[in-house]
Amino acid sequence: MEKKAWELKDVIMMAILGVVFAAVYMAVFQGGLAISTALTPFGLANFGFEIIYGVWFMAATLAAYIIRKPGIALITEMLASAVELLMGNSGGLTVVLTGFIQGLGAEIVFAAFRYRKWNMLSMSLAGILSAAFIFCYELYYLNYITLAPGLLAGQLIVRFISATVFSGIICKLAGDGLARTGVVRNYAIGAGTNAGRIYDEEE
Amino acid sequence: MRSLNPACKFIALIIVTIVLAGRRDPVWNTAAFVLSMVLILASGVRPKTVLLLLLPVALAALGMFFTGYRFTAESAMPVRSDAFLSGDSHLLNGVTQASRVLAYAGLGYLFALTTDRIHMVRSFHRQFHLPQVFAYGLLAAWGVFPHMAMEYRKTKAAFRARGIHVFPLSPSLLAPLLVKSVRWSDELSVAMESKGFSAAAKRSDYAPVKVHLRDWLFLIACCVILPLASILTGN
Repeated sequence: MEKKAWELKDVIMMAILGVVFAAVYMAVFQGGLAISTALTPFGLANFGFEIIYGVWFMAATLAAYIIRKPGIALITEMLASAVELLMGNSGGLTVVLTGFIQGLGAEIVFAAFRYRKWNMLSMSLAGILSAAFIFCYELYYLNYITLAPGLLAGQLIVRFISATVFSGIICKLAGDGLARTGVVRNYAIGAGTNAGRIYDEEE
Repeated sequence: MRSLNPACKFIALIIVTIVLAGRRDPVWNTAAFVLSMVLILASGVRPKTVLLLLLPVALAALGMFFTGYRFTAESAMPVRSDAFLSGDSHLLNGVTQASRVLAYAGLGYLFALTTDRIHMVRSFHRQFHLPQVFAYGLLAAWGVFPHMAMEYRKTKAAFRARGIHVFPLSPSLLAPLLVKSVRWSDELSVAMESKGFSAAAKRSDYAPVKVHLRDWLFLIACCVILPLASILTGN
């Protein structure tokens, strides 16, 4: 396998992906809010966010899929949450803590595969463990522990599905798409890929 | 609030958030929210900006109220909800859930609206010993953000010129943005290295971010007095 030490380009890539996904998170939050508002009269507002919850795990899984080194998922998720903090976030200051918890979930799965399995299964599991970790934290932080267990089970199931779709399926497709363009040829994902080349307008 | 050291302010407000999370008390939550709003407005933030930011928060709080009201845990479950509440009603659970959303958002915005972003990263670097490769990497990436926004608008305009309607998070819009972002990250790292940046090299600051007496006082108020008050008031 390629060398494991982080290079400056890895850190910048993590930070840039953090910025991209922090912007996506903010946009998706508005969509989630719209669904949530529609579900409010039924007391099911939480499901508005559960449907899109997987988006919050995308930065970690996509960065790890591209760079394929230990620690990438954890640090990328933390950087994305730091950028969210910079942008102003309605979830409060603990967004950095949630970034750590979510990133840790993904990192554990990739570590369990010894950073060798990079497929839809490992990426989906990374998203699912992130979802499980952050759900445990929310039982306390968002006071979910005082809600009906049936509702919580429903929320968790929807969150797992969302994690699989966004961080498993969509991130895999996005990563493969990037590899085909040739822009990630300097990273582990691009090694050995028969990629095309997209020219920039400056070139 | 603007003159406080960002790292100290961050720690202090995190502690306040954790204290509120532990109390599950709508009165404390509401007090934290109101105080946050007062401090934000006293820091010179325009009321219109605050109101616009609070609109989605109010909707989320309303949603949490109905969830808490309609789906309170029953006593049959292993964890009784009334063990976590000062009362035993569905209404109180709803109010607690809703006020919690307001309190967290208020504290989050208090930090975000009264803190300079660059100053914050520099402060984290100095006070939290955040490795400089992350501090400068974050600053570099943050500097790219306006280009990302511009790129997004250009791609959207290009589709519109061709008469194609795309929704805001369409893959057609995000794919070029992702490709560009990867290019920028490569170019940035090469540029930083060519300018002599090294993660290992020791750097000096032209304007070091320091911790003043007022920062210590704010820390003591939030990290010592408030938790003590919470314990003494019996929750």
